Amino acid sequence: MAEEQHKTEGGSAALATVVAVAGWLVPGLGHLLLRKWTRALVYFLAVGTLAVTGLALRGNIFSALGGDAFDMLGFLADLGTGVFYLVSRIIENGGPDVSRAAGDYGTRLFATAGVLNLLCVLDAHEIARGRKT
Amino acid sequence: MNLNHFQTMLLFAVVISVAFAFLTKRKLSERARYALWTFLAFLLVAVAIGWLMYPLSR
Repeated sequence: MAEEQHKTEGGSAALATVVAVAGWLVPGLGHLLLRKWTRALVYFLAVGTLAVTGLALRGNIFSALGGDAFDMLGFLADLGTGVFYLVSRIIENGGPDVSRAAGDYGTRLFATAGVLNLLCVLDAHEIARGRKT
Repeated sequence: MNLNHFQTMLLFAVVISVAFAFLTKRKLSERARYALWTFLAFLLVAVAIGWLMYPLSR
């Protein structure tokens, strides 16, 4: 009985890991794998809207080579957007411009998109583990 | 692309309200109520803080 339960939890843990990684890479994909269609679409649109607007406003996208702790925090937040971070250099072809207020808003919107996606990843992980519906 | 502060705040409030509603509520009616309430709270607090800071800008 205990072994069966352990196997079930192990399977859930593996699925939860796959779902979490997928959800991080492509916002909403974790929920899509769990057949939560509406949530998958809403999370993709929410993260995508914030990330693309942040890039369109020419916000600053932090890299791992930042000089201080705040740059590193910004990098971790930005990295949360998954694929949007990876293609940000292509989309943001003009480079960042934080000399205008809009550029600064863009920096915050992109970081918000990353943190929001991490919340969505956590939600998908908890659903896969059976702790949420 | 250029957005002013208020337009950016509106976009932020709409997106975050809807996302939080889906993250925390499961029924459609609960989600709608939560999203509307959170959106209005974002607006109200932002405008209130704006007016509180207004004398400092002069």
